Amino acid sequence: MPDHTSNVQCNEFDLLLSDALDGVLSGPGLDRFQAHARTCKTCGPLLAEAEAGRTWLKGLTEVEPPASLVNNILASTTGVDTQRLRTMARVPQPRVSWWEHVQASFLEPTWAIVRQPRFAMSFGMAFFALSVGLTVAGVKPADLQQVSLRPSAIRRTYYNTQARVVRYVDNVRAVYEVQAALRGIKRNMTPAEPGPAKQKEHKNDTTQQPEQKQDRNYSQAGEKLILASDPLGPSNRDLPVVSVTTYRRFV
Amino acid sequence: MEDVQVVAMLVRRCIAGDAAAWEEIVQTYNRRIYNICYRFAGTSDDAQDLTQEVFIKMYRTLSSYDASKGAFVTWVTTITRNLLVDHFRKTKQDRMTDSMDSTASDHEDAQPLSEQIPDQSAPPDARVRQREVSETVHQALGKLSPELRESVILRDLQDMDYKEIAAVLRVPEGTVKSRINRGRAELGRLLQRTYRQVM
Repeated sequence: MPDHTSNVQCNEFDLLLSDALDGVLSGPGLDRFQAHARTCKTCGPLLAEAEAGRTWLKGLTEVEPPASLVNNILASTTGVDTQRLRTMARVPQPRVSWWEHVQASFLEPTWAIVRQPRFAMSFGMAFFALSVGLTVAGVKPADLQQVSLRPSAIRRTYYNTQARVVRYVDNVRAVYEVQAALRGIKRNMTPAEPGPAKQKEHKNDTTQQPEQKQDRNYSQAGEKLILASDPLGPSNRDLPVVSVTTYRRFV
Repeated sequence: MEDVQVVAMLVRRCIAGDAAAWEEIVQTYNRRIYNICYRFAGTSDDAQDLTQEVFIKMYRTLSSYDASKGAFVTWVTTITRNLLVDHFRKTKQDRMTDSMDSTASDHEDAQPLSEQIPDQSAPPDARVRQREVSETVHQALGKLSPELRESVILRDLQDMDYKEIAAVLRVPEGTVKSRINRGRAELGRLLQRTYRQVM
């Protein structure tokens, strides 16, 4: 509702509203504007709401765009990731010494693997197994100190060890030959025993099972049927039994 | 304020095929365009897609920019606004089917925003509270009609003057002022109703 006591009308109030909120309006114009806002039941709340809305909007902060946005835009417009290319072009490649190269390509990856707990655990287990093995074998660290590492001594040790292995193999072969000869003599001395049934031989031989099974299935056709009540007695069991099949007739 | 000559030179370099100049333009304006798109479209995904579309269009039509007709930022904002309007028209059907009560500001008997926003009163962390308030205002902004929304975004969030906004929206300055007033008042009404019920 317009206030006739002041000079500002409602439509004029609407035009002055943004200026008033922006702080542009001042002096008598501002006084008339405020007077109308106090008296008009439509424009008063409008001023309050607009002021509140402006305050809310000013409280909104700028949103941070996603980090990949620029690269996506460049990739979709120029077709290449220019940021990456320019960064690569700008940064001069430092000279790398051979030691740094080895360190970067071999030592650091290896050290990264070594630092893993599972590797330390595996290494510990291997060391433990080795020490236990050496202890059981009777190897003492003090014995290792007496080992001569001169080339001639190493060569001599090699040939001695080789000769020892050859002798060991020859001895073992002789023992086996003697044992085989004794077993043959013993077999000849003892009387021949009846061989076990074929089925028993194959009892644990699983490799023959399918064939055996097949034989069993096929052999049923050749076998003669024996009646449960045999009136002819055992002497007549050789007689063939005729099996009669009755065909049911459907009437 | 953008230096007109610097921008004009940048545009010329870009038209000549200087990739570095184009990257500089993207670096300078991506934040602004993303924010306009985010506040208008409402979601980060849509804002990202729209920002990319804006730059693609800008890249293709860069040669049509005439520095004598207006500032580069106005030209960029106009492209953004036109794409946002297109996007709004395309997704209008989706929004209508998504929710029947999405036009709360258009109807007095519609469900108030306070009923759509969960009441989470007095969280201990002030930053969380601030974020929630921002989210509430952002949601309320999405309830405004597109004409009012774009006007208040350009004025209160992008700090453009009325003349520039009028150039972008292609409407008289008086209309711009009226839309801004109505948009602010509508937003204030929505949020006052919300916080009156929450508090």
